[in-house]
Amino acid sequence: MTSLRQYLLVFGTFARNSLIRDMTFRANFIIEFFSSLSWVFMNLGFYILIFRYTPSLGVGTGWGKYEFFAFTGTGLMINSLAAMLFMTNADNFGNFVRQGNLDFLLLKPIDTQFIVSLQRIDWSSSGNFFVGLLLLLYSLRQMNYVPSAVTIALYIVYMICGLLILYSLMFMMASTSVWLGRNETLFDFWFYIVNFARYPMEIYEGRFGRPFRWFFTFIIPVLVAVNVPARFIARPLKPQTLQDWALAGFTIVATVVMLVLCRLVFLAALRSYRSASS
Amino acid sequence: MSAIEIRNLSKTYRVNRKKEGLWAAVRGLLRPEYEVIHAVRSISLTVERGEFVAFLGPNGAGKTTTLKLLSGIITPTAGTATVLGHVPWKRENAYRRRFALVMGQKNQLWWDLPAAESFRLHQQIYQIPPEQFTRTRDELTDMLGVRHLIHRPVRELSLGERMKMELIAALLHSPEVLFLDEPTIGLDVVAQYTIQQFLREYQTQKKTTVILTSHYMKDVAALCRRVVVIFDGRIIYDGSLSSLVDHLGAYKIITIRFANGTPAGDLARFGQVILREPPRIKLRVPRTEATEIVRAILAQYAAEDVSVEDPPLEELIATLFTSAHCTAEESLVPSPLHSADH
Amino acid sequence: MSTAILDTNPVPQRILGRCRLWATILRISIQERIVYRGDFMLGTLMRFLPIVTQMFLWAAVFAAAPGPSGGDTRIVGYRYQDMVAYYLLTMLSRAFSSMPGLASGITREIREGGIKKFLIQPIGLLEFLFFYRVAHKLVYYSIAAVPFAVVFYLCRGFFLHTPHGWEWAAYIASLILAFLLGFFLEATIGLLGFWFLEVSSLLFIYMLLSFFFSGHMFPIDMLPQPFYTIVRMIPLQYLAYFPSAVFLGKVQGEELVTGLLVQAAWVVTFMVLAKITLQRGLKRYSGFGG
Repeated sequence: MTSLRQYLLVFGTFARNSLIRDMTFRANFIIEFFSSLSWVFMNLGFYILIFRYTPSLGVGTGWGKYEFFAFTGTGLMINSLAAMLFMTNADNFGNFVRQGNLDFLLLKPIDTQFIVSLQRIDWSSSGNFFVGLLLLLYSLRQMNYVPSAVTIALYIVYMICGLLILYSLMFMMASTSVWLGRNETLFDFWFYIVNFARYPMEIYEGRFGRPFRWFFTFIIPVLVAVNVPARFIARPLKPQTLQDWALAGFTIVATVVMLVLCRLVFLAALRSYRSASS
Repeated sequence: MSAIEIRNLSKTYRVNRKKEGLWAAVRGLLRPEYEVIHAVRSISLTVERGEFVAFLGPNGAGKTTTLKLLSGIITPTAGTATVLGHVPWKRENAYRRRFALVMGQKNQLWWDLPAAESFRLHQQIYQIPPEQFTRTRDELTDMLGVRHLIHRPVRELSLGERMKMELIAALLHSPEVLFLDEPTIGLDVVAQYTIQQFLREYQTQKKTTVILTSHYMKDVAALCRRVVVIFDGRIIYDGSLSSLVDHLGAYKIITIRFANGTPAGDLARFGQVILREPPRIKLRVPRTEATEIVRAILAQYAAEDVSVEDPPLEELIATLFTSAHCTAEESLVPSPLHSADH
Repeated sequence: MSTAILDTNPVPQRILGRCRLWATILRISIQERIVYRGDFMLGTLMRFLPIVTQMFLWAAVFAAAPGPSGGDTRIVGYRYQDMVAYYLLTMLSRAFSSMPGLASGITREIREGGIKKFLIQPIGLLEFLFFYRVAHKLVYYSIAAVPFAVVFYLCRGFFLHTPHGWEWAAYIASLILAFLLGFFLEATIGLLGFWFLEVSSLLFIYMLLSFFFSGHMFPIDMLPQPFYTIVRMIPLQYLAYFPSAVFLGKVQGEELVTGLLVQAAWVVTFMVLAKITLQRGLKRYSGFGG
């Protein structure tokens, strides 16, 4: 009865309603739009500065200037989608749970996780997506590399996996507000975690770096989110090693596992939901 | 099969107790302390299809909690309940499509968007066929007289108008069961009246099973004949409204504002003086004598304002529970009182 | 606890009164922070997490950067350890100079009319906010000092250079001046709320520029030429970069003294600006019949 088509239609209405709402508060929208863009440009400025003093990140990693920009572009696209689709909702979910406003969502004959995850779309983060795309295209051009159709398809698949991994992490954390109460810090935590994933995983070397890298690849797979798709598209000069393929395979597994875990945690949170007294 | 069947339903909460003081706050970090609240204590109830039942009771009595249990919003600590054959807290989509919940002063409509957009979303979520949707929407907006307002952002509407929109949204999918939690709270008298009339007409037409909670006797009097009184998590009365009033309403409160200051004479001969705030006086008098007494007072003194009211609900309830005048069978038996006329 | 009492009593009682005020603020602030138990523990420690990423990033940068084989690779004069130390030090500088909520609080008071009470009370808005901010910093960092100390201790290996002798005094002076500068700068921006209704966009631009050009993101020395000179001319560098540079010995001797004087000059400039803006603003405000 509740088919895919219905979910798509409802999502479309969410997108539309959110857009109408964002346009009503135009000034705010513009400020947010440009603030996220400015942040991106500041970071780009920083990266450009870095590459004035070094030809690559780490020795022999293959992450030269334009490879790195391709990586950054990928990251921008994934993160902007996560911000657009999920961030406001995750934030609101935490609030709803604490203030007992989840009630109305629980009444609807549609999957609660679906509504909770997608009802608000933040269009002001859309700018970053296009900057990321442009950056990627620019880097590919500078590297004189035209990826094959298969590569592009895989790239898109792994970007989606990355997005879903980020989603699962975000909502698992948001769900914990049922038990932990006010969780502003939890969202700061989110930014810090995602911060680790902003650079190629190869920078995590050494006595602390390696275990760190291992943890954030296999236990909390944030590093995988941007790294795997980026590798497909940004390391054309190095042949794809077996290790690369193993990591890619692991990413698929990780995506599924994370989604399942997220669902379980979410349902557990709903069971503990208390609903505010009037 | 009855529409709603509740058997020994209970809900208990554990609330974190926060204490004053730095040391207590630190201890709270290490060893949190709890307080146990019994919101609903083993209540049992049956509601047939098409009935319009009121839950009456003071704040914190458990009315809202019961509705939330029946809506599946929260899960019970003990006991069972079925609504239209479904167990509410399983939150099956099939069940959710058949009922609606409206909570006074709580909005589910998108705040910054016109109500029409929220209705549209509603249609998609409930999968209401377009023709039926348009028909129902127009019918409801006409009945409540807000047709011209549906394209205005909800935040620009008055409280009463917003409530009407909430009601419409809830009824768009023609639910078989309707739960209303204090729907007229905070509204002005006109809006209250309009909504009451609407609910009465709607329910008569559609034969929806309705449970309405309120702590206003007026809501109840206007709309239903069956009243369930809830106090401290328990049902202490389940019967007709008229019986309840007869049982308890032995008294009336007369409030008089005298035109020329409080009269010097002894007013106690008219009835029990419960408030003396010159030029205002409140008297408690036996119900049957109320009219006579008012006439007598007005014959002697000039008054600016006179009102005759039922005692406040809390007082009635408290009387119900602890009244010394009550016969043994009424006050000491924990199970609900029954009444001959239902 | 009327602040009006503070001004008419003799000095010892005023100090006592103020101490009591601080004690109450302290107590309430601590309580508020402890109330949400999950949060508090994590919060302070987590602010150091971005530094971890920076440490790895710079390690990778230095590893591949051209430099003398077997010797210390330097980027604009910083060795790898200096770079990490730099970031840790900017965290410390920011602890002094960041003023969360100051400007927005002022604009809110202006917008909502709360500013009115400062027209009649003997204690000035700036004074009040200043002491509040001092108290708040004391409270916050007396607790946050623990994670700070832990982190600095664990990272002590990165501090290859520490100040000598009087340079310590200079360093501390630069931190205090950074606090004063941050306060008066942000206060001035907030006070512009008397003229512009939406100071928030201005504030946002300030935050952005501040992050980039104060040295918080990277040492200012890294900037290529026309930018480097320009940035040295604006006061933002004194909020994060300057104290850190002092500690690391990048600014020494005469340059150090000049630097401190310029920093102090900026403090005075903004202090005066803030006062004038407040006066003019209040005049304008009461002219509207409040």
